[in-house]
Amino acid sequence: MNSIKLASIALRNLFRNSRRTLITILVSSAGFAALAIVAGYMDFTFYGLKEMTICRGFTSSGGTGHIQIVKREALQKEERYPLEYGIADNEKIQALIASNKSIKATIPRIEFNGLISNGEKSISFLGMGIDPEKESELMHYWNALDKMSSKTKMDDSSYKKLELTGQNGVLLGEGMAKSLNAETGSSLMLMGTTVDGAVNVVDVTVAGVVKSTMKSIDRYYLVTNIPTAQSLMQTDRVSKIVVVLDKTDNTESITPLVSAAINGSGKPALFTAIPWDQLAEYYHSIRDAYRIIFSFTGIIVVVIVFLSCTNTMLMSTMERVREIGTLKAIGIANPWISLMFLFEGFFIGLMSLIGGMALKIIFSFIINNSGFRMPPPPGMSSTYLLKIYPATEFLPWIALLVMFSTTFSGLLTLLKIRKISIVNSLTHV
Amino acid sequence: MNDRIIAQLINVSKYYGSGEGRVTALNHVNLSFFRGDIVVLVGLSGSGKSTLLHLLGCIDKQDEGNVIIDGIDTSSMSLEQLANLRLNKIGFVFQSFNLIPVLTAYENVELPLLFKGMDKKSIRQRVDEVLDEVGLLERKHHYPREMSGGQQQRVAIARALVSKPALILADEPTANLDSKTGAGILDLLMSLNKKEHITIVVSSHDSVVLDRIKSVVHISDGKIMVDEIALHNHIA
Ligand SMILES: Nc1ncnc2c1ncn2[C@@H]1O[C@H](COP(=O)(O)OP(=O)(O)OP(=O)(O)O)[C@@H](O)[C@H]1O
Ligand SMILES: [Mg+2]
Repeated sequence: MNSIKLASIALRNLFRNSRRTLITILVSSAGFAALAIVAGYMDFTFYGLKEMTICRGFTSSGGTGHIQIVKREALQKEERYPLEYGIADNEKIQALIASNKSIKATIPRIEFNGLISNGEKSISFLGMGIDPEKESELMHYWNALDKMSSKTKMDDSSYKKLELTGQNGVLLGEGMAKSLNAETGSSLMLMGTTVDGAVNVVDVTVAGVVKSTMKSIDRYYLVTNIPTAQSLMQTDRVSKIVVVLDKTDNTESITPLVSAAINGSGKPALFTAIPWDQLAEYYHSIRDAYRIIFSFTGIIVVVIVFLSCTNTMLMSTMERVREIGTLKAIGIANPWISLMFLFEGFFIGLMSLIGGMALKIIFSFIINNSGFRMPPPPGMSSTYLLKIYPATEFLPWIALLVMFSTTFSGLLTLLKIRKISIVNSLTHV
Repeated sequence: MNDRIIAQLINVSKYYGSGEGRVTALNHVNLSFFRGDIVVLVGLSGSGKSTLLHLLGCIDKQDEGNVIIDGIDTSSMSLEQLANLRLNKIGFVFQSFNLIPVLTAYENVELPLLFKGMDKKSIRQRVDEVLDEVGLLERKHHYPREMSGGQQQRVAIARALVSKPALILADEPTANLDSKTGAGILDLLMSLNKKEHITIVVSSHDSVVLDRIKSVVHISDGKIMVDEIALHNHIA
């Protein structure tokens, strides 16, 4: 009963000094909107980074896909010779999981390294042997993501070129091409070690020059067909099979199914299915860094909202000293009087949520339609289009933070109210 | 202890400031107020009338002596206990009305009852009853700013009265009103005293008040000029 009355008094007092109330609400709304927009930006960044990790990757070994299948021993032991723990009959394994409806593609890959030479100069490379057609599935997956804007479509033309060039085509990173003074059509030599430990050489033709995701790997980046890589190493094995799912969210549920299917039952497991996030070091480091930045922003915004509200509350108590004294004289205990201010803070918080949501929607809309491009993230080579995602899962927490800081500032008035002397307040003008 | 006594000051002193500048607002005051009495405190400005009412109303603490309300010594009470005592036993009427500006007449009067935890129906009944008693029932939905000074003071009296206190303390209730309105307020207080047998202590400069109320306590420089027994005999 009396709390309802106090809430009603609180509300009326907010309207009594509507200008100050409005300013406080504006500050808190701006705080809410700022946090929500930062969260939306983070959500966008994490999402983009995650799918980018899966589709293109941030290392010389390409996109992680959703799940990677490797020989168990490849994780446990060091290879004595290339592909000692490679997968021998990869087509059979691909067939084992092909029936799963969530699995969109299975992509075999070879990772290998060696030297590449133009006859005068040799430099080392970190190579990837791929099946261009299958590898394009990752790009198709990316292009089908409905959250990605049409301006960030991936283009598989370089894989097409690799395919067209035939058996011994290679794609080089820009840095490597420059260093070897090579261009499309140039003839080069790959040198590497066979599985028997002998040195082998394969002639290759440059099918195209590509820009890789990371500047640092551009000088070592090389992609060729699986048969080319296999003939260099004199093997029929591949390093891994990359599994592409219909959507990233299914990774957790499909990984064990894949593992079961490829290992069969009973006998000790020969293969391991690794989900993408265990392969996403860059993604995790960026995400951790962003989380710290976000936490700091959060703390600063909360402090600003809190201080602004506390200021408003203390101004109200000062202005209403006489009223507070009267309530005290009537015999209303201090905590009740403070509850009135707590309600004021609470209502300011509520209105800030509404105002904040509105601001957030307006600003997100403006930003999302501005076409503004962000500078490349650490180590990456291209800018990207700035987007703010709705970040709905963060909103309740942000709302809670804002509500807490406005309401708590109301509670703080208790300290002030306790100090107000009834007698002095009654003679207060 | 005489249970006809509602409030008693025993050897009460109150000082303001310290050292050279110390002011003695009340100087060893002994005074008793009897149930059902209406008493006026008179004295020059600065003589200690307000201070005495504040101590009697338990909104300030004496520096020496004891204040006893309805048989209970308030000296060692906690803030919460004092608040509770005020809520249940004491009603205040101030010179400047002190209504809550955002509340209507009805809501202002209702306030003490809400905090006493009365049920909604009894509250409505009682508030209407006292608003009727002060003659403002038709004005119950008006805000203080929509009422004259005299009307506001009537609402304040209704608020003091609503929880059936043992004691109503009114510090110069007519000082902010013109003499005719002030006389009306005084009439109201006197009739409440007669009808509801509530003890009322009024402080006043106002000759109208002095002429009408027979029990007078003279106070000068923080000292009571009339012996309390004599005072009581005077009433009796
Ligand atoms: N808060 C205070 N600080 C210092 N001195 C005070 C304070 N309140 C009252 N006094 C002093 O105490 C004495 C008694 O004051 P009090 O207000 O009780 O007088 P009063 O009889 O009510 O006067 P008035 O008729 O002007 O209202 C005065 O000398 C006054 O200056
Ligand atoms: Mg006074």
